[in-house]
Order: sequence, then structure tokens, then C-alpha cells
Amino acid sequence: MTTVETVGGEWIRRDGDNVTLTITRCHACDARWFPPRDVCSHCASTDVHDEPTGDRGVVYASTVVRAGPAAYRPPYVLSYVDIDGVRVLAHGGTGEAFAPGTPVRLGIGEIGRTDAGPLMSYVITAEDGAR
Amino acid sequence: MRPVYVAGAAVHPFGKHPGIKAADLGYAAVRDLLARTGITPEQVDAGFGGSTYGGSLLAQRVLQRVGVSGQPVYTVENACASGAAAVHLGWQLVATGQADCVVAFGADNLTGFGGGTLPLTTGDIEIEQGMVMPAAYAMRAQRYLHDFGAAPEALSAVSVKNRRNGAANPRAHFQGEVSPADVAGSRPIADPLRLLHCCPNSDGGAAVLLCSAEIAAQLPTPAVRIRASAVRSGRFHTGYRDMTWPEITARTAKAAYAMAGLAPSDVDIVELHDAFAIAELLHAEALGLADRGQAHKAIVAGEFDRDGRVAVSPSGGLLSRGHPVGATGATQICEAYWQLTGQAGDLQVPGAEVALTHVTGGGIFGVDNGACAVHILTTD
Ligand SMILES: [Zn+2]
Repeated sequence: MTTVETVGGEWIRRDGDNVTLTITRCHACDARWFPPRDVCSHCASTDVHDEPTGDRGVVYASTVVRAGPAAYRPPYVLSYVDIDGVRVLAHGGTGEAFAPGTPVRLGIGEIGRTDAGPLMSYVITAEDGAR
Repeated sequence: MRPVYVAGAAVHPFGKHPGIKAADLGYAAVRDLLARTGITPEQVDAGFGGSTYGGSLLAQRVLQRVGVSGQPVYTVENACASGAAAVHLGWQLVATGQADCVVAFGADNLTGFGGGTLPLTTGDIEIEQGMVMPAAYAMRAQRYLHDFGAAPEALSAVSVKNRRNGAANPRAHFQGEVSPADVAGSRPIADPLRLLHCCPNSDGGAAVLLCSAEIAAQLPTPAVRIRASAVRSGRFHTGYRDMTWPEITARTAKAAYAMAGLAPSDVDIVELHDAFAIAELLHAEALGLADRGQAHKAIVAGEFDRDGRVAVSPSGGLLSRGHPVGATGATQICEAYWQLTGQAGDLQVPGAEVALTHVTGGGIFGVDNGACAVHILTTD
């Protein structure tokens, strides 16, 4: 039997092919947080609520990790992606790093594999026509 | 607050010392420090030891072996800034008159982890996704090159300079020069960073004696004054921060310059946290040593060379000296002490009167760094 572990799975929303993330917005100071939280880490207000992001973002920076933990099977591409006020780390792409500014779309995919089975999480793919 | 002096420094040479535990590395440095200064255990009012991987009560385990036992002793953990945080806490006690004489040291042994990237232990979502420190700096490098039109050769120029400096440092992990071609041809780690853009995981220990003017005057060793000691934490957020601007460094340095009454242009030598080559460019700008987006030109023009406009990491920096994380901040103070007292040997920057040391600690989720320490030392 194979167990599927999903990193950050409790914050991933899936509706058919549409994948979004749950973030927290603070009503007192408008800060946004990912992963979600019940107290604003800027102003400590509890006047916060969770909301979904969109399903698209823009790459801030990206790299190909060629020496890293075996579970993630280097080389793997890591990117910081800006989505609706939060910056998230995501796997995705193949071969080379995304250029800063690349528009990307959220999805779900395998980011690694352990003895227990595949490791899933949210991942990014370049939007059609983008590289 | 009253003046605080560094009146002695000692380092256990950095390198691969798989058979020597962190406590033994710290002990070697502290024993050497007491021998050099002639300070007796009874004269030591307090002790601080910085370490990240050395285990519980490291400071006690080190200091009790040289008779410092019974006094207030603290083991300090602030990731790569642990040793500098230990110095800062010792400085606080002397500056506020609560102590006249404090031993501050740092020690770590990273050989025990084997090779590869350092294990990150905080268990946040990014680490669960396979984040490693080289990747974080690689992304900062990619964005810096993109934003400022810098060439990857500027990164290699940092490695070449610091390995050249370290070649003359008997305490350095690597004591050999490398060429730009060596750097460009080394194994890729995280694009655009290659192996020779990364500091090694090392083992080592370093210790300094912090004291009042009265104690300093009684010792056979020369003293330098700590003009500023500042520690800050990273500002946490998960929004769109500018990763080419280490604001924690800018903020800590601003506090240190204000405390010292000095400006970046007054600084003769700097030991900064070049854990990866890109870090020297980012931090040099945040420390005010170069204009925003211009450090890549300064390094290529030789402005950070030992005989340049400002000598950046004349000891070889982390890239050459190595990075036993808890020991790094303390050894920077030692190198600055030897420079300002004219005891730096082949590393000596002639006429150095103002030294700045800078170390940042830890990549944890939501901040570029968890801690930063800046010290400014002067000859008087
Ligand atoms: Zn808030």
C-alpha cells in the first residue's frame, strides 16, 4: 500500500483543474499570510479571515537545485511565486529556472518520493506561451 | 554606558576536524585566550558561548574546564549569528557595568553531518518542500543579476578575492587561491551558484575577552574598543519582499553606525557574512559600502580587495575561512582585533583603524534571515 503525503495539503483548494491556495487576510492592517493563521503576525489582530487566492501567479525568482535532499530527486526547480499578496515557494518546470516575471499557473503534482510513497504539493507550470 | 574593550582573541583553526567535538573546539579557543591574556578564572565575571549544533549547555561544558564555574554562563543559539550574539550579550554586561570581564566564544562542528547541504531543522513548509540554503541564495542571486544587469562573473570575482585573501590565513579552512575558471568550472549546486560560490561546512572555535578600561589597562595584550554592538531579528512577512535588499542588515547596520557615530566611509575593513558569493554583494550594499545595485561593479573593479577602497573580508571570509556556524561571528571579531592591533600578519591591512563585522543567522520561513549582528571596533 502506498501513502500519499501532500505538503501543505490542508491549504490547497481543488475544483476540477482549478487549483488555488487558502490565505489569511487581516481586516485591521490588510496584511496577507500563507500558510493561514488565526492571529495577524503583523498587528496581532484576531480580526482575520481565510480566503482563496486566484489560480495564477508570477515568478519572482527561481533556481535549479542540483544538490539537495534525495527525497526531492535533484535536479529540481524551485521558485518563489507571487500570488494575490503572498509569495509561496513551489516546485515546477523542467531543466532550467524560470525567468523572473514568468506568468505561471497553479496545479498539483509530485515534488518528491520517500520510502512511504509520493510526496505531493502545489506546483507551477508556465502559462501557455510563456517560458 | 561605559566603553567596552576587546583585549584578547583566540581561534582554533577552522577546517575538517571530525574527531574534535564542538565543546573541544571551544575549549581550545578559550584555553588559548586565557593563556594569551593571563586572565584567571576568578577574574571572569560571566561567560557566553554561541553554538547551533553543539548541544545543550555548551558554554558551561567549555568554561568549566578552565575553572570558570559558578559564574553566570549562558549558551546562545541564533543560528549563524550565535557567536556574535554571545559577544553582544557579553558587551551588554560590561557596557552597563554589571561585569568587568567576560569571555565570549563560539564553536560548532559540522563534519558530523557528513557532506552536502546543511540540514534545516525548523520544519516549516518550505523545508518540507525541499528548500535548502543554497537555493534561497541562488534565487536572491538570480533576481539580483536580473534587476541590476550584473554578470555571473561578478559572483565568481567574490570567490576569487576571498579565496586569495584566505590563502594567507593560517586559520582558514581553505588556504589556496582559485581562478575565475576554477569557479566557473566547479560543480553546479543551485543555478547560478556553483560549488566555489558556496562556503564549506567547517569545524572551529573562536573566543574573545571583553572588558572594562580598567581591566584592559592591566593586561599584557593590546585592546581595541567596541564602538557599537547591535543585534536585530528579521521582520516576518509572507508578502512580496525585495530579496535583493537584506533589510535586516541595513537596519542593524544603521543602528550600529548611529551608536558608533561613524559612517560607512569611515570603515577600513569589513568582515561580512559571505556564506554564498551573492551575499557579499547584497550585504555590501546594505552596509553602505556600495550604492544600491553597484556592488557587482565594485567587486570587479577591485574596490573590496585588501588594498582597495575598503577591504572586505581580508581574512578570507566564510568562502575561504569556512563556516562553523556558531563560531563565525566570534572569529570575525578576532580577525578585526588582530587587524586593528597590527597582529594580522600576512593579512594585515596597513593602517586599519575602523573595523566592522557583520553576520546574519538562518534562513527561516518568512524572513530573509532570522538574526543579524553588527559590531564596529576602533583602535581607540
Ligand atoms: Zn494585521
